Formats: sequence, structure tokens, C-alpha cells
Amino acid sequence: MRPLVAVCWKAVELRAGVDPLTGEIRPDPRSLGVSPADEAALEWALRAAEGTGAAVRVVSAGGPEADGVLRQAAAAGAAELVRVAIEPGSPSCEVARALAPHVAGAGLVWCGDVSLDRGSGAVPAFLAAELGVAQALGLLEVDLGAGAGGFSGLRRLDGGRRERLRVEGPAVASCEGGTARLRRASLHLMLEARRAPVRIEAAPPPRRPAPHVVGRAPFRPRARVVPPPPGEHAADRVRALIGAEAPAGRARVVTLGPEEAAEAILEALAAWGELP
Amino acid sequence: MTRRSAAVSFEDVMATTEFRPAPAAHITVDGDACRGCTTRACVTACPARLFVPIADGGILFNYEQCFECGGCYLVCNEKGAISWSYPEGGAGVVYRRG
Amino acid sequence: MAERFDAVVVGAGPAGSMAALQLARAGRSVCLLERGPFPGSKNLYGGVVYARVLDGILPRWAEEAPLERFVTRRVTMVLTATQSLAVDFRSSAWGEAPYNGATALRPEFDAWLAAQAEAEGAVLVCSTTATGLLVDASGAVVGVRTDRPGGEIGAGVVVACDGVNALLAKEAGLAEAPDPSHYTLGVKQVLRLPEAEIERRFGLAPGEGADFEILGGTGEVPGGGFLYTNRDTLSVGVVLSLDGLSRSAVRPEEVLAGLTAHPAIAPLVDGGEVVEFGAHLIPEAGLEMMPRLAGDGILVAGDAAGMCLAAGIWLEGVNFAMASGSAAGEAAAEALVAGDTTRRGLAGYEARLSSGFVLADHRRLRHAPGLVLSERVQRRYPEMVCNLVEELFTVRNPAPKPGVVQMARRAARRSGVGLGDLLRDGWRAWRTFG
Repeated sequence: MRPLVAVCWKAVELRAGVDPLTGEIRPDPRSLGVSPADEAALEWALRAAEGTGAAVRVVSAGGPEADGVLRQAAAAGAAELVRVAIEPGSPSCEVARALAPHVAGAGLVWCGDVSLDRGSGAVPAFLAAELGVAQALGLLEVDLGAGAGGFSGLRRLDGGRRERLRVEGPAVASCEGGTARLRRASLHLMLEARRAPVRIEAAPPPRRPAPHVVGRAPFRPRARVVPPPPGEHAADRVRALIGAEAPAGRARVVTLGPEEAAEAILEALAAWGELP
Repeated sequence: MTRRSAAVSFEDVMATTEFRPAPAAHITVDGDACRGCTTRACVTACPARLFVPIADGGILFNYEQCFECGGCYLVCNEKGAISWSYPEGGAGVVYRRG
Repeated sequence: MAERFDAVVVGAGPAGSMAALQLARAGRSVCLLERGPFPGSKNLYGGVVYARVLDGILPRWAEEAPLERFVTRRVTMVLTATQSLAVDFRSSAWGEAPYNGATALRPEFDAWLAAQAEAEGAVLVCSTTATGLLVDASGAVVGVRTDRPGGEIGAGVVVACDGVNALLAKEAGLAEAPDPSHYTLGVKQVLRLPEAEIERRFGLAPGEGADFEILGGTGEVPGGGFLYTNRDTLSVGVVLSLDGLSRSAVRPEEVLAGLTAHPAIAPLVDGGEVVEFGAHLIPEAGLEMMPRLAGDGILVAGDAAGMCLAAGIWLEGVNFAMASGSAAGEAAAEALVAGDTTRRGLAGYEARLSSGFVLADHRRLRHAPGLVLSERVQRRYPEMVCNLVEELFTVRNPAPKPGVVQMARRAARRSGVGLGDLLRDGWRAWRTFG
């Protein structure tokens, strides 16, 4: 049997419109694609396969909208396309469990390190656990060398440290987008890929009740660290911070309707130089 | 409330349009020709503000946020100073409401 | 050469998709090349499609095409720095079949049209730029080169619908070196507003749209403006003479900001959230800039052939593109059947355009662009007319009203317009539009 290199792709919206007031996301199916990291993963798989004569299989867990994205992989040179039909928004462990049977048997499984839709980047790790193989996650550099099947790579660790790995044998690897640029599909493969078949597989039933979201808070950016104001005593600094030292007359009480009040606040902020 | 629209900076307006940068520039500018140019029509005519005059008399240019209109090479009066083609297929500006 | 089709159409805009559709309908294998990631992604226009040309080809266009609003209100406006004068026309007939204009977003409309061509059997290849022509020893075009590995495509006929820059027509020697005075630059902002707010603000029923064409209002740069209502967005923009723009020190977005801040326009666009900004060239000069439409193995259609009507009160382009593309597709299919794709064999294209509205309208209105962009029409007449109307309606009690003729004379003098100018331009306008 021909050796196999697998790639896991996630179809995401590359540019989601967000309503600035409500935070509601405006979907646009035309922006479906994969992250640069997923593209890099396919490129490494294709390069690895060229060295060993292996076939490249691209697997994606998602709805029918992912089929067009998978065909882009066929245009670049993937031989087999598989889509596992899964509920959108399934947790990473279930996604990995759905993907696992379709990448089992591959010498290497390549993934992007994190998807663009605020993914946790946990699927590759769960996948390695499901398959019971080694993992090399978050690769910054990949060197396939001349060896058949293995590779060496540089990996990010916490605190800015790095670790160099040598991987032989079956493994799940995830790489960052900058490690490789996906090759430009040839015209011939572009034409062929239009008809490339996508094998559709059912996802296994969830193993245990998935954790469900009880509540959700809006996105809060981290607090900005502001240098302390000058002042010899703590009390002075606090007074400066809370504006108690501000010239008198700055504070003003107005009674207005909501729209006028908003206007008045904006005007005041602009007058105080608080607005850009 | 007109102030709200006026307060949007040009950079913010440009950020509403999607660009998928190509690996290579589709515009090239011949700096020597620009140093002799007095009109610099490209600097004012480019709707994306891609052309910026620099201290040594040349022109600095970007290609990443190009609308691909072609106005720059048409207004350029130093013959051939701007060479222009379309970017690689799939790259460049992507309109959603053009 | 690995790939071969009966015909290659370059550019999946309205011209290209119609050419591919007609070729596919005639049973020809046709490859439709598009350099954007999807059809329409590179295309930008003001905002109104006149799709009656599709009546005989895609009869269900009004129900199926992704249109935003049917235009039932058309406002023609003249602006000076502080004044505005508008003719506000409404017709409920335009809101019903057979319809007139409709606002549409090109990335949606063009993608729909390309899908119609695909449904007929055309092979659409996106994200692929045609970089040049393949030419045989006799100089005839025999295919195109693309920017993909193994990217040469052989074809009996190439239909170049590659847009206003017309790079392929130039390479084939069909077009002259471009003259910047033949082009205008369209700069457009799309502003989001709630659907109901648009209907309230513009006095529209659901599904109905308004179309504002604006003369003046572009400051020092000759040009005009437009404002169109989409379903939940407004398209507002300016069309600027490229020459005028490069001579002035004013930037395009400043001109647009000036228009949206004009007291007659600001309340209409107030509070809109900018959701897209873009620019595109417009081939303004019509017949003056039209290339030769056919060469051996190649036809040129749409904007690439300068087929855009920018004649003051009429601003049309997509309809000309669709009609010329359709004619090119039919003529190419005919030539392929006859086995003669030389310039002579492709002559059916120009014959079709001559008997239809495409060339007839361009011939009739060939002097319109020059007239519309002239200094007097741009600056002095708007000022004169606005001043006259201001005089007319300003009550100067206790002074008595002057006579209308006297007011007109004074308004003309204030704007530096002589009787001779008026007669001359009136005659030109009569000859052009009459």
C-alpha cells in the first residue's frame, strides 16, 4: 500500500465582518479559506510526500461549505479529500476524535498550529493522544532533510525559549504559517480539482456529554499598564490618578436626553484632549 | 453627528477593504526618473495614497493596499517611470460591495 | 500545450461571463479566466445595473439576480459650494416588470452572472491572471499565458474582457497607447445604515431604490458624484477627471469628503458606518478611445473596448459590457463553426454591435464626454443656474422683484458666462443629445 501523509484543515472565514456596536458577526461564505498555518501544513506534507512517494490526504471536519476549500488542496496536489461531517462548534477533543480514524496509518499528520477563528490550537494535541503517536507542536522551522519519513524542527516553548526536535516515525506535527508558503497550483491541477471527489464520513457520536457553555462574557482587552504619575507621597499619586487635582470647573452636571448627553460627553472629552 | 464620519481616519477607511498581499510587487517605480519629476501626479492621484515622496527626491511606494485601478501609470508623465501590471491571481484587493 | 479550449474568455465580469455563456450555449468548450478569488471581487462601479439586455438571454434575471433595490426615484442634482438644485423624478412603473435600473453590488451580481455561464458549461478558473497572449508565426492569437505553472491555454478564439486597463488589447496591437484624458477615476465609499432608515430617509418603499446623479460638488477637480441606495448600505462616490486630479493638489478622498460634507448630501449619509472603500478607472471617452474590436483570433469587449457610457445624464456601463460580451460570444461561436477565426471571420461581432444599441449610443453621444467635463458645464453653469434660482426665490422686500430676464442676465454675468457661450454650448448639447 502507498504510504500516506495526512493534513488536517479547518475551513474558516478569513475576514469576518463584525458589527462595531453589537459585536454580531456578519458571515460571508465567499471569504471561506484556510489559515496560512494550514496552508503551510499542506506544503510540508506535499514536500514530505515528494521525498517518499507517499499520497497526501487532506481531512477536514465541518459542513458542506468546506468542500470547496478542500478542492483547493487538491489543486495544490493532494490526492485524497475527506470531510468528516461534524456539528459546527464541536469541542477540540471531539474534532480530534472525528478526525483520528481518517488520518490513522499516516506516517505524519500535519496541522496548522492554530486556526484563524480564535481556535485554541488544541486539536493537534488531542489528535496525537487519540492516535497514540508522538507530537511536535507549534513548529517555527521545519527541516525535512533527506530522511524518509522524519524531520527535525524548532519549537516554541513558554517564556521565549526554544526546543529543537528530531521526529522519526508516526507523529502529529503542527506548524506556524511562516514556515512555508503553499505552492501555486498548476493550471492543469486547477482544472482537475474542480471535479475532485470529496469523501464524506460521519463523525462518531460524542463520547461523553460535551462541556456546555453556561455563560459568555464579552471580549475584554487586557488592562493597559499606565506609568504612575509623579508625586512624592502615595496620596499625591492617587489624587493625580483620580483627577482630584484637576482644575475646578472641569466637572459639570447636565441633565439631557440620551443623545444630547452622549454628544455632551464627546464634546467634553474632546475639549479635555482625551479623544484622539 | 456628522463629526462621527469625519473622525474616521484614512487608515481606518482603508482597513475596511480587504487586501490579500501578493508575494511580489506588481508596481515598480524607477527612482531615478522620479528624482527628475516636478509634477508627481501619482502622489496626489493615487486613491490609496500608495506613493510618498521621500527626502532624496525619489518616490517610496507600497503595493499591498493597491486598488489596482491603473491611475498611477496613466498620470505619470516621466515615461515608463511606473511599470504596472496585475498582481498574481487570487492576490490583491477583494471587493465585497464594489 | 497542455490545456485547450475552443475559446478562452479573459475576465469574468459582465462582458466575459456573457461571452462565455453564449459560447457555451452554442456548444463550444470555453474557459473563463478570472484573476480575483471569485468573479466580481476586482470590480467596482457606481451602483446601477440596467439589465434589460438580459431579457432574451436570461429571462428570469429580475427574480434570480442578486439585486439590491429597483430604482424608482432618480434625482439629478447640480451642486455649488453652498447651493443645490435637484430634479427629483419618481416612477412607480420602474418598480415593476419590465423594470428599469436596479442597484446591485458587483461582487454579487458578477458572481451570479458567471454562475449562469458555468451552468451552461463554461469552465470558470479563478485566482488566475492572464499575463499575455500566445501568438503563432502569422501573428494570430492562439491562446493565453497565465501566471500558473503549466499555465498556457490554447484556444481558437480569445475574448479579451480584461477590464479598463485593456492589457491584452494593447499587447495584441489593437489599442493605442492610453491617453489619460480619456479616463476618469471613480472613488466610492459604502456606508452601512439600517434598511428601514434608508427607506425612511429617501422616502422609499421596501425594495425600491434611489439614484442620485450629481453634477459639480467636486471642487477644483472636474467630475461629478453619485449616491445610490442598496438594501442596507449606501454607495456614495465621486468620478474625477484623471487629468484634473493630477493637475490639482487635491486628493481623491478629500474630494469625496467634500461631497459627503455638502449640506445637501450630508443629511443623507449621516451616521453611516464605512464598510468599504475603493476606486476604479472608468473609460470615459467612448468612441474616441475605442480600440479595434477584432484581430486574428481575438475579440475585445466591455471596459477593455471602452464600452462605457459616461454622458452626463446617462451613466451606464454594465449593460454595454453585457451586450458587447454577448455579441462577442455569439460571433466567436459563429466563427468557430465556420472554421475562420481571422479578423474577417470575426467580423460578425462589430456587425452585431453596429445594429444594436452599443455602437449606436456611442456614435450618437460621441461628443458628450468632452462637453460634460468642460469647464463651463462643470463650474459656471451650475453656479449660474443655482444663482438664478436663488435670485428667483429670494424675497428682497421692500425692494420690488426684478424681471426674470434681468435676473438671468445678472446670474450669467456673475458666473462669467456670455450669451455666445450659452448659444455655442446649447448648440453642442442639441447636436449631442438631440
